[in-house]
Amino acid sequence: MAPWLAAMWLVAGTAQADQNVQVHGFLSQAAVHTDANNVGGSSEDGVGLDLRELGVNASYRPNGDWLLSAQALARWAGDSDEGDARLDYAFVDRTLSSDASHRVDVQVGKVKNPYGLYNTTRDVAHTRPGVLMPQSIYLDQVRNFFLASPGVSFTGDVYRGEDVMNWTLNFMRPEVDDEAMTAFMVTQQPGHFEGRNSWLGQWLWEHDGARWRAGLTLGSVAMKYHPTPTEFLQPGRIRLNTGVLSLQHNRENVVLTAEYALVRQLRNGFGVPALDLDTTVEAAYVQGEWRFRPAWRAYARYEELYLDRDDRDGEGFSALSGLPAIQRYAKDAVLGVRFDATPGWALSAELHQVNGTAWLPRLDNPAAQMQKHWHMLLLQAAYRF
Amino acid sequence: MRILRLVVCLCLFLLASMTAGAVEIIANRDVGVGRLTVTAARAIFGMRQVKWPDGRLIRVFVLPDSHPLHGALCKERLNVYPYQLRQSWDRLVYSGMAQAPEEVASEAELVARVAATPGAIGYAGKVQGNLPIKVIYVE
Repeated sequence: MAPWLAAMWLVAGTAQADQNVQVHGFLSQAAVHTDANNVGGSSEDGVGLDLRELGVNASYRPNGDWLLSAQALARWAGDSDEGDARLDYAFVDRTLSSDASHRVDVQVGKVKNPYGLYNTTRDVAHTRPGVLMPQSIYLDQVRNFFLASPGVSFTGDVYRGEDVMNWTLNFMRPEVDDEAMTAFMVTQQPGHFEGRNSWLGQWLWEHDGARWRAGLTLGSVAMKYHPTPTEFLQPGRIRLNTGVLSLQHNRENVVLTAEYALVRQLRNGFGVPALDLDTTVEAAYVQGEWRFRPAWRAYARYEELYLDRDDRDGEGFSALSGLPAIQRYAKDAVLGVRFDATPGWALSAELHQVNGTAWLPRLDNPAAQMQKHWHMLLLQAAYRF
Repeated sequence: MRILRLVVCLCLFLLASMTAGAVEIIANRDVGVGRLTVTAARAIFGMRQVKWPDGRLIRVFVLPDSHPLHGALCKERLNVYPYQLRQSWDRLVYSGMAQAPEEVASEAELVARVAATPGAIGYAGKVQGNLPIKVIYVE
């Protein structure tokens, strides 16, 4: 990890000289044990500690029309993310129009992409619905596709009585040059991907003080493969046309959430039948959360992920590619508890019972060693300011 | 015994109804707004509306989430749960979309900061007439 990030983080809490400047940050550390397959450096008989996040952000609001924001992030997740400090987002926000009935802003820079209810703050443990993001919808292996990208974002609110309509429309080129993504998309090949012109839009409706929230995300995200001169793959293209439906009901002590996603993967030009496919990923989860005491919450979630909705058991893919069918689906039942020890600190424990390996990081799990049925226990301590 | 229990219950009920409605939204005297809709108040405390109609920056002051007065503001004036407001701030602050409200430790400090800060908004349990602040009515 770059020392400057740690230094910035330490200085951050105290250095708020200007009233218009704010500094915030977060960190988390998880311990993970699995009885098969590898997550966060864990093994069958060991405990993995390779799940960690550290971030710091600064913002400057000189007046009601302008906002400058940037966040640095380092993330550790097994072999697929090894703590390199990176710019998470950095943009200038200009309010174009604002009154009691609406607001319209434009953002230019590296902007956050809307995707479902949780994507924009997916690396901040306090904002996640559990220790891990629901992997069905928020698959970590393709996180860079949807995370944040150089581009322009139009966003706004419309206020109508008890309803608030929030909308966002982003035009960007995703930053997809990373090993985990390449491994996920074309198995382990030496080339790399480059983002192409893409867009993501979201419409989010909040009713009655956000007791009800409903969202629709739509987008088309594209990338191109650059093979190395020696490999057999051709410079193929992948376009993901995606849609996510989100619904949430907030009560005083209960939160119910459901999200459903379809992602059509259009691939061509790789010159390999197993890669030049037109398939649709289907994913969904439902989660119930019970705030049974102040500062305590328990939650249960069930999720399913199919990398090809027309080949749910993966047998068709397996016959075509020779790779295991179990890496084409995952069904995950999750139980968790979280204790907010102080406003800054949160401690969580989460138990997974999984059938399938579709969302496991490929870099940590060679196809030949994947196990179909597995369990995972995660403990996490997280801090934010 | 039963009568005593009844009396205690009645007293508690009366106390509860006296304290209900015991939170007012307050602002610095230079703020030109006297009334807000619930939706507008929610947008301001939710950090989504950041300027007054005259263009001046709104400065939001709040108490800790667990403070009873903060709970009263959320439930009685904004019609949201405190955890929702916190989630909304977190979503905005860690995605760079907005800044967080300024949190102070006590009601006295909150009132003092609102009185001293141009464009400030906050809340208080009992508003005394001699303070250099104004009450904003939510309808």
